[in-house]
Amino acid sequence: MRIDVRPVSRLRGQDPIDLLGALTPVIEALQASDADLSKVRIVCDWVQYRASFRAAADYRPVLAAGWRAGPDQGDPAWLPDDGLPAAETAFELAVDLRRAGPDLGALVTRLLAEHAAPASSAQLPLEPWGPGSASCIWRFNTLYWQALSFWEQATGREYERALPGGESAARDSGAVRELILELFKIWDDLDARGALPAELYVVELGVGNGSQARTWLDEFVTLSGMHSRDYYRRLHYLMGDYSPHVLGRASKAVAHHGDRVNALVVDATRPAVSLGFLRGKSFLVYISNVYDNLPGDEVASIGGRSYQVEVRAFLPGKDARRIARRFAAPVRRLPDLVDKLLRLGPELLCEALPQHFGDPGRAVAFWREIWSALRLQERYVPLEGLDLYQIGPDLTGAALRSQLESGGDIRMHVNNGALNSFADTLPLLHPFGRLLCHDLFVTDIRDYGSGFYGPGKYDGSVVNWVNGPLLRHVGSRAGFDVRISPFAQRPAANVKTLTAVVRE
Amino acid sequence: MTAAARGGPAAGRPAGTLLPTTVIGSYAVPEWLGQLKNDYCQRRISKSYLDEIHEMAIKAAILDQERAGIDIVSDGELRRDNDIDYLLARIPGVEIPQRAKADYFDYYEAEVAHPLPEPADLGLGLGLAGDFRFTRQLTDMPVKVSITGPFSLSRRIRNTAYADPADLVRALARLLNAEAAELARAGARLLQVDEPFLAGYPEDIALAVEAINIVTDVPGVHWTLHVCYGNRYARPLWAGHYDFLFPAVQDTTVDQLALEFARKGDEDLRLLEKYQWDRGLGLGVIDVKTDQVESPAQVATRIRRALRFVPPEMLSVNPDCGLRHVRPEAARAKLSAMVAGAAEVRAELAGHR
Repeated sequence: MRIDVRPVSRLRGQDPIDLLGALTPVIEALQASDADLSKVRIVCDWVQYRASFRAAADYRPVLAAGWRAGPDQGDPAWLPDDGLPAAETAFELAVDLRRAGPDLGALVTRLLAEHAAPASSAQLPLEPWGPGSASCIWRFNTLYWQALSFWEQATGREYERALPGGESAARDSGAVRELILELFKIWDDLDARGALPAELYVVELGVGNGSQARTWLDEFVTLSGMHSRDYYRRLHYLMGDYSPHVLGRASKAVAHHGDRVNALVVDATRPAVSLGFLRGKSFLVYISNVYDNLPGDEVASIGGRSYQVEVRAFLPGKDARRIARRFAAPVRRLPDLVDKLLRLGPELLCEALPQHFGDPGRAVAFWREIWSALRLQERYVPLEGLDLYQIGPDLTGAALRSQLESGGDIRMHVNNGALNSFADTLPLLHPFGRLLCHDLFVTDIRDYGSGFYGPGKYDGSVVNWVNGPLLRHVGSRAGFDVRISPFAQRPAANVKTLTAVVRE
Repeated sequence: MTAAARGGPAAGRPAGTLLPTTVIGSYAVPEWLGQLKNDYCQRRISKSYLDEIHEMAIKAAILDQERAGIDIVSDGELRRDNDIDYLLARIPGVEIPQRAKADYFDYYEAEVAHPLPEPADLGLGLGLAGDFRFTRQLTDMPVKVSITGPFSLSRRIRNTAYADPADLVRALARLLNAEAAELARAGARLLQVDEPFLAGYPEDIALAVEAINIVTDVPGVHWTLHVCYGNRYARPLWAGHYDFLFPAVQDTTVDQLALEFARKGDEDLRLLEKYQWDRGLGLGVIDVKTDQVESPAQVATRIRRALRFVPPEMLSVNPDCGLRHVRPEAARAKLSAMVAGAAEVRAELAGHR
């Protein structure tokens, strides 16, 4: 048996975790079970999110190479040939120390029993097993941004108020000024060589309420007026976001800049699809609080072998029964209703199914209840060669190798959406351009061994820290120097600043 | 006096071939090969193991070029970590304090703290002749060898030895000239100087030309000068136009310029006419910064446009730069398209004669 305690910094200090108190009932429950104790990994996290996809304890099987799916929605079956080991080579008990309490032993006993007899489980799966990026939690996330006004109406607060600190990345005019003056210097140099393009492009991906764009453009006008060349005349500021609602709101904030600004619906995971015409032309791409909100997988190295973390969204039985009762539907219909909600959105859902949802408000109530109750099961599925794991259209799992082989067991984010977005954005940069990104970055691969970095729930959206070293590696292989530094305006904040510039 | 005038092959092409097709030098590096190179950097595999891997990869690269129908082939530069380090690491007097790299493609941090030795003091040379001999035995096709130019090499060296940085460039040029002579003795007839950094320092064109002429002072060799806008990580490093090359490049003794036009467009072809460039042109018709494969018709169109400025006898056809960053399957397809496009125009030209 192995016990892996990650939040070691919380074992000391003013209010240290009672580790032994938390683990004792888990150990006792295991002792009382028939489980093969030599195959047990107890992994202890401290889940900092008020709302997450985890219970106080979860059971995660570690599957063997060559396992094959059973008929019950992909549950692992025995290996095909007699005499080979079971499909499950080990299992992990994941404990959230923040929520460890007197009930933990009973919960672990129930998890072990449910695993031994899956038919006894009351959990209601909402989807088949699959990589994290394919889970419906990301469809919920998309719905949140697309139907934000409905959600905000129901909660009575704007989404920025739901973020820690009450706003997304700060908009400090001093930092903006500094950045603009650096751009002026680059442009002056290019102009002196006769290599300054006629159009000067700046791109913002993930535009929030438009205040970043407003601050930036207002400063630009002022500084451009003081400069001998009127760069404002040549400037094109493109705002990209995948939420038309957000774009509309941001556009109003910068309406006084007229045709210097354009708004485009952009798939953040493939920005070049909409912005390909800017290849090699953007002097600045600014991205704030986007990457942590894009679909991603997780991978792990356990005992020298690489695994993909597969997930399956489910509703705990008690919650499923309560929600079904409230919306006058049989429990077994809930997965279908959830799928319809995610496809149609709340407004059309109530039109399509008035017997369950009399008005949009009631559809939003259904949405919020499901979201609140939704959890993720997890299992470790062997990767049969990193090169066969496709992170994105142009990136294979070979990029993960150095991190997975960095020593010992590790579980880490792949952030497929963020990586694809990043890799797809870099070619947009002019040789003297830069990408500037404010987000939640894990800065050292070893941090994954001492903390929990998501996914969690922020209001109606998903938040998932970004594997900074992996972005650094991918950027480096594309010819960029990628640096992650503290957020200048709030150095102690979790938000960090990533900068990518072309390296010679 | 050009090298050809000094007795080199007239146009650096297989006898009788109009619009010969060739490569700039580097060939596609598959992901697995990059991984193995990294394994060597991290000492997971030995040098002899890596050498064998390189030799196998070179055989495959030559076979790919031959099957595509390329007229003048290269070894794909598959032994070279990048465009700089392979030579820098072999030049006596260039100090590389830290030879461990996280990734093979990264550049070394190199320093020259004392004046470089003169060629006469050198022992066995830089090893390119040996590479050539290996390649020569694998194919009956003409083989081209490229040498990173002294100006570009100097840009990756921290110079504390020479008060005038130009003297470092000249010293490097003399060493490269000795290596070129060694290549010629080994039978190499098609050599190329690559100056991937020159476009970033147009103000230094006179120095670069002076140094190139030192390198190319070898009888019996057809010399190409390749200048592009950078291809590191499949990205251009510089922006601008080829204006800066002219008229200075007229003073070089090279027989041919190999320039990129596929990615940049053919606007700069006018320069050849304007400055009456009367030597060969290696026309870049394949964009090496994308895996998108050109059609033969696109290639043919690009060649036809160039023929408005350059007579067919002086035109060779090549990709914009090395194919290092192109995926192997795309590289094969691009070369095939290039050969087909060239054949199409060649047939048209034959019909008009």
